[in-house]
Amino acid sequence: MGRYVLKRAGIGLLQALGITIVVFFVIRALPADPVARLVGFNSSPEVYKQAQASLGLDASIWSQFVTYMSGLFRGDLGVSWVTGSPILEEIRSALPITLQLITLSFALALLVSVPVGIATAKRPGGKLDKGVFGYGLFAGAQPEFWWGLLFIFFFYYSWGLAPAPLGQYAPGLDPPPQITGMSLVDSLITGNFTAFIDAAWHLWLPVMTLAFIVSGPIIKMTRQSMSRVLGSEFILYQQASGLPSGQIARSTIRASLPPVLTLAGILFGFLLGGAVLIEQVFAFNGLGSYSVRAVLNLDYPAIQGTVLIITVVSLVVYLVLDLLLAVIDPRVKN
Amino acid sequence: MTIPQAPPVEGEHPLENLANEKLKTKRWFHDPLLVVGIVIVGVAIFLAAFGEAIAPYDPTVPVGPPSVPPSGQYWFGTDTSGLDVFSRVISAPRIDVTLAVSAALLSGIFGTLIGLMAGFYRGVFSSLVMRISDVLQAFPVFILAMVLVALSGRNLTNLIFALTFLYTPIFIRLTRAEVLTQRERSYVEAARAAGNSDFKIALKHVLPNSLTPSLIQLSVTVGFGILLTAGLSFVGAGVRPPNPEWGLMIANSAPQLVLGEWWTSLFPGIAVSLTVVGFAALSNAIERRVATS
Repeated sequence: MGRYVLKRAGIGLLQALGITIVVFFVIRALPADPVARLVGFNSSPEVYKQAQASLGLDASIWSQFVTYMSGLFRGDLGVSWVTGSPILEEIRSALPITLQLITLSFALALLVSVPVGIATAKRPGGKLDKGVFGYGLFAGAQPEFWWGLLFIFFFYYSWGLAPAPLGQYAPGLDPPPQITGMSLVDSLITGNFTAFIDAAWHLWLPVMTLAFIVSGPIIKMTRQSMSRVLGSEFILYQQASGLPSGQIARSTIRASLPPVLTLAGILFGFLLGGAVLIEQVFAFNGLGSYSVRAVLNLDYPAIQGTVLIITVVSLVVYLVLDLLLAVIDPRVKN
Repeated sequence: MTIPQAPPVEGEHPLENLANEKLKTKRWFHDPLLVVGIVIVGVAIFLAAFGEAIAPYDPTVPVGPPSVPPSGQYWFGTDTSGLDVFSRVISAPRIDVTLAVSAALLSGIFGTLIGLMAGFYRGVFSSLVMRISDVLQAFPVFILAMVLVALSGRNLTNLIFALTFLYTPIFIRLTRAEVLTQRERSYVEAARAAGNSDFKIALKHVLPNSLTPSLIQLSVTVGFGILLTAGLSFVGAGVRPPNPEWGLMIANSAPQLVLGEWWTSLFPGIAVSLTVVGFAALSNAIERRVATS
């Protein structure tokens, strides 16, 4: 087990390193001019030169790379070219917002889709099965921001069941101090129940939107995996041996979990960078909104930082997932 | 942007409940999914070519008072700048569909050729290609797309280039996997025994036999491309206003939506989903045909 974990972690680290290097060179190879963006296109050559030097862009690309990598090994992601604050601090306040949002969405999506997937696998071709097929087709065919806007129109504008999409808390509310950075956790540990209720009130619609979007593929996968296991010989053998149906159901679910968990992990990693649009729609200042600002401002250190953090977090998620899979199915290790 | 879909479980066809035995005896045009796909894709391509010509108003110039609800004069209403929403919705395929189809075709061609090489000539080249596409696939797609487009300049060519770059690894993977099984088949050995060169065997015999997965993927990729373009425009890293583009139209009207102005974002949204569903249906129908025949 230990060796297995080490091997997976090693591959993950190499991948993160690969991505870091690729991003570093790709953004410098593209024809954007971050210096002109900062000082304005009509600035004098002296001002331009000065700004270029202060960003470290006057040095050769190799020495820039060495500076960046040596900073990275000391745990320093550099300073934002736009705000001047350390990237690590900015990401530390943005990441928990995204993590809270997608973790809750996943919990909700799994709670709903796994039972639905199991039900459709039991009755292929039934009404539920057909409904789910149509839902999967349409949920995946829409830009997620459009779903977000549609839900806002109905739940906020028409029915008043959700707050205006203006962020994590109501505009006038005094937010709890930042401890973990997750609105629900922070308000709970400081005992601020007004803030807790408000945070939950502002979270439910974005969480539901994301859960609505990711549920399609999860249901599909659960259904496929379940029907494969249901048709397998070992289930037939269990039935022939006269095992109680509860026990058969348990082993069916256990055997059909791995592909579902794998997909959930992939989707989770995907949403770390993919919740961008939902965060924009609901005005959450998470990692997604941060990355949009970084890219549009040509803030290279911030772009590199976000990509690196997203990669590392998704690799950790994959690692945990692999461990879970190895626990469920010990054959995986070999 | 797109959500990764469940990869098919080995040994079971993803649409096995639909792809039943009856399909074998049915004629092509008795398959509703195929008909829906062909009709929608046909309309989309028609509008990409002639949408702007048949639109009642110029899609980029204000033609009336702002924020008029749908009426006989403005079928889908007007937006906050007084642009006609209907004209913009039917002109948008010129950008959305052209872009997504070009990117899908380009990545299909590059990916298939690279995948063919990587599968046929195993060794350093093959493993290098696979490692590179591993790294690319571990990337946060949407952020990579934003970076590529925003930093190389927001125009059509760069958007196509960025989407092609993002989607090529999928085709490399699909083709390589197929080539790996094909190259062990006896027809390859026969071709070799008959004195054909490796290059000729790969291109003339293995390639045509390894195209099926890529052809199915092609149509899905067009859908992905439309969604991704819409998403990029939505955050301001895609097509520039006032060009008619569905994502951009939705983005511009988002602030009005919460005030009850629904028509400016509803219609482009429906257009996106119909188009994506159309391309997905086409791909599903082809896949079922191939799997059942």
